[in-house]
Amino acid sequence: MTALLRAELLKLRTTRTFIALTLVAVGTSLLIASLVSALSEPTQESVLTDVFTADTSGLFIVVLAIVGITGEWRHRTITSSLLAAPDRLRFLAAKTLAFAAAGALLSLLISISISIVGMAILSGRNLPTPGLGELIVQILRNAEAAALVGGFGVALGSLVRNQPTAIVGVLVAGFAIEPTIIALAPDFGRFTPFTGLTAGVQSIPAGDVGNDDMHLLSPGLAALALLGWVALAFVPGVTLLRRRDLN
Amino acid sequence: MSSTAIQFEGLSKRFGKVEAVKDLSFAVESGRVTGFLGPNGAGKSTTLRILLGLVHPNAGKASFDGVGYERLPHPSAHVGAVLEEASFHPGRSGRNHLRVLAAAGGHPEARVAEVLEQVGLSGAADRRVKGYSMGMRQRLAIAAALLGDPEVLILDEPTNGLDPPGIRWMRDLVRAEAGRGRAVLVSSHLLSEVAQSVDDVVVISHGVLRASGPLAGVLGGSDGPITRVRAIEDGDRLAAALRGAGHTVNGGESGSLLVPGTPPEAVGRLAAGEGVALAELVAVSRSLEEVFFELTGGES
Repeated sequence: MTALLRAELLKLRTTRTFIALTLVAVGTSLLIASLVSALSEPTQESVLTDVFTADTSGLFIVVLAIVGITGEWRHRTITSSLLAAPDRLRFLAAKTLAFAAAGALLSLLISISISIVGMAILSGRNLPTPGLGELIVQILRNAEAAALVGGFGVALGSLVRNQPTAIVGVLVAGFAIEPTIIALAPDFGRFTPFTGLTAGVQSIPAGDVGNDDMHLLSPGLAALALLGWVALAFVPGVTLLRRRDLN
Repeated sequence: MSSTAIQFEGLSKRFGKVEAVKDLSFAVESGRVTGFLGPNGAGKSTTLRILLGLVHPNAGKASFDGVGYERLPHPSAHVGAVLEEASFHPGRSGRNHLRVLAAAGGHPEARVAEVLEQVGLSGAADRRVKGYSMGMRQRLAIAAALLGDPEVLILDEPTNGLDPPGIRWMRDLVRAEAGRGRAVLVSSHLLSEVAQSVDDVVVISHGVLRASGPLAGVLGGSDGPITRVRAIEDGDRLAAALRGAGHTVNGGESGSLLVPGTPPEAVGRLAAGEGVALAELVAVSRSLEEVFFELTGGES
């Protein structure tokens, strides 16, 4: 499993898509954090989630994960991948873990960057800043959310092989369907994977994701529920992969 | 001494209403190059993909010394495969493609440089694959197959895209690998190329086995060897003597006789016994192409 994990991480590092999207994710997150730090007036209570959750790694890692798994079909590299690792369960598990690890690392890189920039700007404006301890906890929560979303992306991509369909589907779900559910049915909305549960894991206030009346799950429960979504997509994904003939 | 490296036993595969492979059984020996021949759509690629665990058979099994590919403890160290339409991530360099496969297969990274050198791609190793010619891609696929220094090589149309020097290189490679005791199974539609490099052939058509065995035996056809004989004067007497001895005799060109199923030695001995002086006595060898078309009913 270690060899497969190494191979999957190497696959990630050796394509320009990963490098380009990582740079865009870091740039976007820094821009958001800088603008919020420079233009808003956060209070001591709100500063942590107002500024230091501006980590866009979740969005980018889910796209990268879908590109990673569906690209195996698109470029037909699935054949050489499965010749090297014929156990399809282990192959998909390794890819899921690799993108979870990549999501966590990307989030750590972004969160640490925005922490440095955000703290500098807030301090310069004599605005309240979070304590180091709570900042570290927030960074770890961001990383946990990105890891779970990265794994979810692979599992979703194993179900929908068509790359554009999978990416557009996830974007529509995250930016249109989930916000609608949150607005109309907050009791269900808190279980939505890309918004409600991710906000729960990151401990972002419900109002920041669209509905003050929504009772988000605690970070631990939200992480478990998000893991449930991963399993929900992974199990049929691996079943399909094992049954599929690679002509 | 050769031993069975690959075995197909009663293999069948159906895609919807199409029966791609029907009750296929044959074996591939170590230390020999086996040509796997058949017209387009005969079921060659499906058979090879079943062997490699990529396609699930409806019946029968394909194995390496009794073990299915998926159950091999270290598959890419035992079997190296080049499949038709070998594909690569276009944005990854040739070297990185091999590094990924070496990591997944648990092979030392030093093997990457070795196989790149072996296939003549060292100079282009750091270029992205999308800039490779078809021949370079084929060489890269072969490099990937050689990464684990495998006991068995499976090559599906390996000369596709190769230029004449590349084809010769490929021929030398498969001969060298067989010389090292490796089993090499080569599927190809280039019959003249196959005829020059294989020891054994397996011919399939419509998913059904038509012939298998050593090349010389298969070239002999179903009637065995054919002898062409021409007497200086007494052609009719020789024909009568041959028929009298129970041999089939067909008329050939310029007064020669064709005697299927009988080796030249037997024909010569009979002519000598009859006191018939001969102008010609030769074993007629059919080309692989002739045999192929005969066995596959003229399909191409």
